[in-house]
Amino acid sequence: MNNRILQADVRNRGLVLDPRTKLLLLITMAVFVLGGAASSYFPFIVPCLCAVPLVLLILSKKFRSAALYAVVYSAVYAINILLADRLSGILYFLVLGTTGILTRFMPSVMMGIYVVSTTTVSEFTAAMQRMHVTEKIIIPLSVMFRLFPTIADEFSSINAAMRMRGISFGGKNWTKMLEYRLIPLMTCSVQIGSELSAAALTRGLGGEVKRTNVCNIGFHLQDIIAMLLCALPYVGLILGWFGVKLI
Amino acid sequence: MFKTNNKLKGKDLINVGIYSAISAVIIMVVAMLGYIPIFIPLLSVLGPLILGIPFMLFLTKVKKFGMILIMSIIMGLLMLLTGMGYYSLVVGVITGLIAEFIYRSGNYSSASKAVLTHGVYCIWIWGNFLPLFFDIEGYFATRQDYGQEYIDSLTALMPTWMCPVLLVACFVFGILGGLIGKAAVKKHFIKAGIV
Repeated sequence: MNNRILQADVRNRGLVLDPRTKLLLLITMAVFVLGGAASSYFPFIVPCLCAVPLVLLILSKKFRSAALYAVVYSAVYAINILLADRLSGILYFLVLGTTGILTRFMPSVMMGIYVVSTTTVSEFTAAMQRMHVTEKIIIPLSVMFRLFPTIADEFSSINAAMRMRGISFGGKNWTKMLEYRLIPLMTCSVQIGSELSAAALTRGLGGEVKRTNVCNIGFHLQDIIAMLLCALPYVGLILGWFGVKLI
Repeated sequence: MFKTNNKLKGKDLINVGIYSAISAVIIMVVAMLGYIPIFIPLLSVLGPLILGIPFMLFLTKVKKFGMILIMSIIMGLLMLLTGMGYYSLVVGVITGLIAEFIYRSGNYSSASKAVLTHGVYCIWIWGNFLPLFFDIEGYFATRQDYGQEYIDSLTALMPTWMCPVLLVACFVFGILGGLIGKAAVKKHFIKAGIV
């Protein structure tokens, strides 16, 4: 697994959005694309929102992810429209299900990749502090933020090692699959975690004084535009509750 | 104030973060199975069973009030962000608090209380099923693109009486998962000197 896509490169990243705006975008995607909240009022909103991660990925110079997303999403969408009516039975179920799940999850997953790959842990912490979230939530969340790429990396290494020993689907020791993958994963996570907490303690995490942060976060023009865009589907949803039909 | 040593320190919060991250990765992988309708009710079996191992290891690090509750809240927030609705957040806050009190009554070291704690903690998974019972029309209105056959088979699998059954399943398999986790901790981590 190419791990580098999940790590923020500070110097060369094009358009910068405030982490709070990114969070709002992520929630909007979860509510309207994953949750499908407004699809009965105005169905055109979902394809519009699906284009948002593409635009953001291009603006922040993640051209490879953007291209991959565009190609796979449009291919799946085309299959869904062209093929779905002509098939029947189990094949219909399989094709419709796979494409349905991909079109539903992919935009939000790409949005998540965008958020994780363009935000540093410090920026995230600064944004959460501005929102007056308690430190008891901020620290675990930023640790998770920092650990997800590491866990993915460790897991793929363990996976490779175990496949070599025949502990995988179709291998001769497949009954041991779960134990022999989970336990090493947790052992190394514990190791990484204790190193991480030592590193964090030297930076004064968990001390009695308020920590300072060098990250310059704040709302700019691009944030306001993104927020207005996010507001649109919510307004539509509330109007829909009151029985106003937009189309 | 910090002489009492009951306040959550940075190290405790970092531990919460690490184990939440592991649990989140596991639950995402397991939840992917939910695409096959028969696996949806089975998620309340598989989830607690597999989550037992990281959670029992996590409990060996818990010595202060609040850590289990924070983990519960974080799992609820994750479910909210991945589009499962706010039910598991609400359920998670309540069960997290109960689990917290259970584990505290055993002085944060009782092994049998730890197993019970995992059983109660796992009930947040049940929260993910609640929209299926309370708002079945709304649930499927947003999932039309999965196809009618998926909807039909899921509706057939989920009559109303399944609701308490799933709750009990989460709890019972949470306890079983706790036992498995306890065995795994004993077999692998105590020997290796990690706990």
